[in-house]
Amino acid sequence: MIDLRDIHKSYRLGAMNVEILKGVDLRVDQGEMLAVVGASGCGKSTLMNILGFLDQPTSGAYYFEGRSAEGLSDNELSRIRNRRIGFVFQQFNLLPKLTALNNVCLPLLYRGIPTKERKEQGREMLSKVGMSDRESHRPGELSGGQQQRVAIARALCGSPSLILADEPTGALDSVTSSEIMDLFLSLNGNEGITVIIITHDPGRARLCGRSVRMLDGLVEPQ
Amino acid sequence: MILTENIVESVRSLWSAKQRSLLALIGIVIGIGSVIAMVTVGQIVENEAVRQFREMGTDICLVRLAGQGEARSRNKGMDLEVIHRIPGQCSTIKSVAPYVSLYSRLTHGGQRVSSPGLGVTGEFMDIFKVPIVAGRFISNLDGYANFCVLGSTKARWLAEMGVQDPVGSEVVFADRVFTVIGVAGAVPSGTFSPYEINEGVMVPISAAMRNSDRPQINVFGARMVGNGISSQAETQLKEYFQYASRQNVRMTSAEELVAQMDRQMRMFTLLLGAIGSISLIVGGVGVMNVMLVSVSERRKEIGIRRAIGAEQSDIQLQFLVESVLLSFIGGVVGLGLGVGTVAIICRFTGWEFFVSQIAAILGVGVSAAVGMFFGYYPARQASRMNPIDALRA
Repeated sequence: MIDLRDIHKSYRLGAMNVEILKGVDLRVDQGEMLAVVGASGCGKSTLMNILGFLDQPTSGAYYFEGRSAEGLSDNELSRIRNRRIGFVFQQFNLLPKLTALNNVCLPLLYRGIPTKERKEQGREMLSKVGMSDRESHRPGELSGGQQQRVAIARALCGSPSLILADEPTGALDSVTSSEIMDLFLSLNGNEGITVIIITHDPGRARLCGRSVRMLDGLVEPQ
Repeated sequence: MILTENIVESVRSLWSAKQRSLLALIGIVIGIGSVIAMVTVGQIVENEAVRQFREMGTDICLVRLAGQGEARSRNKGMDLEVIHRIPGQCSTIKSVAPYVSLYSRLTHGGQRVSSPGLGVTGEFMDIFKVPIVAGRFISNLDGYANFCVLGSTKARWLAEMGVQDPVGSEVVFADRVFTVIGVAGAVPSGTFSPYEINEGVMVPISAAMRNSDRPQINVFGARMVGNGISSQAETQLKEYFQYASRQNVRMTSAEELVAQMDRQMRMFTLLLGAIGSISLIVGGVGVMNVMLVSVSERRKEIGIRRAIGAEQSDIQLQFLVESVLLSFIGGVVGLGLGVGTVAIICRFTGWEFFVSQIAAILGVGVSAAVGMFFGYYPARQASRMNPIDALRA
């Protein structure tokens, strides 16, 4: 499903050229649950941005669902992010002024789905993450774990084939973290959604079907 | 559908930054308000000015001897008989009112005041619409009789001396004794009415021409047989005076004057509108400023929206709707402010109040256009943001 070949990514930082990714090769199959571990600054988030079509590699080839990502227009990239990928961030990244339900169905808005249908799907996703009773709460009125559940519901909304989670438990206590991990595991196990989780916690990585380690801009099998 | 969602979203966002939205609104409100107030006041003034002419009728005209300076001073003036024959000779002219001006003193009961005078014929009253409040006007049968009609100012002067009903009393004007036969009401001062109607006294033209300073007829008023024939009438009159007395005349018609006035007033209104537009531009820049602040404050939100699949056009639309909505609200409030200002002005000046529909529609429409124009750049900036940079904010 995902095939990265010799991905390089470098940024200009003043006069310096900083190479973050130095030739990443990675294959992820449909329905896999993959953990990417590594120290901070090793390029995990950059890899995640490239996988999620938020950023473009400097060189190398990226095939997503058998299709090359090269030369896609901004609108095509937006479309893939909207329909094929769900993001879960460390800081949840919910819109503070919207209710939980409106946050969840936001991706459907950009598909032009009518309000009624959007809300129906949003409610379904909220119940999947056990947050049905909080649909009219705003993020500020929810705990960290609850916010992350809402964020996962948003990622699920519109049935993506891939969920990218960037340190989804990084801002949560250990009990809540385990609940969130369980949620990812059940989504992967029951719904067959491909999940890629970035974490620096080897313990959580071991729960996943497969884990790889990133070290200094390269991916090593573990 | 996505548009309604955007409007709801915009209201929410504008409401959450109330103070800032309000400040941006003030600029637009003042801009639209002043455009509407100025354009409407311009139109009202125009209507007022034109109305004064319309009351006199647009079939009125003044005919003067042409030529200036020396040529004119050698001139003997127009011949009264020649003028009186015009309605019979020129098919476009219904009636004529030749008059001469005198400048002298008016005396009554030992009090003296300087006073202009007019020597007129019976037709003068009809052509210049002189209202008679007591007695009668000068008639063509009065001949050389020493009769006079008091203008409104002079009637007031006599009233101050205790003469409440001056008809029948005697006054001395230009060293001759005149019997007052009538009192004229005030006529609106304008380009066509000689100011002496209000300020002085009117006497039979033959009596006036016997005065020692030998006043000449340099101008007469006339009424045409209909509207819209002023150029035809002018040609006829020119030919007639060439034939009858070898004189050159030129004609000024109310119709022409009204048209000229319309043009001037339109320029005036346009100018006022342009001045108002400047404040509108300033208001627009205020909106742009607020939107730029809003965009940079909501980088994170933009990043999140882009990450979950919003296209550039979605983001652009969102911010554009916000700025258009902001200016539109400003436009509606400004419309109220402008109309209110006009109502107050009309109350104090006694002008006839009306709301120019064009100004209202234009004002609100323009405010939306201002929002579109000044919101475009911030919205574009928002949409062009790199998703990761925005997300990292």
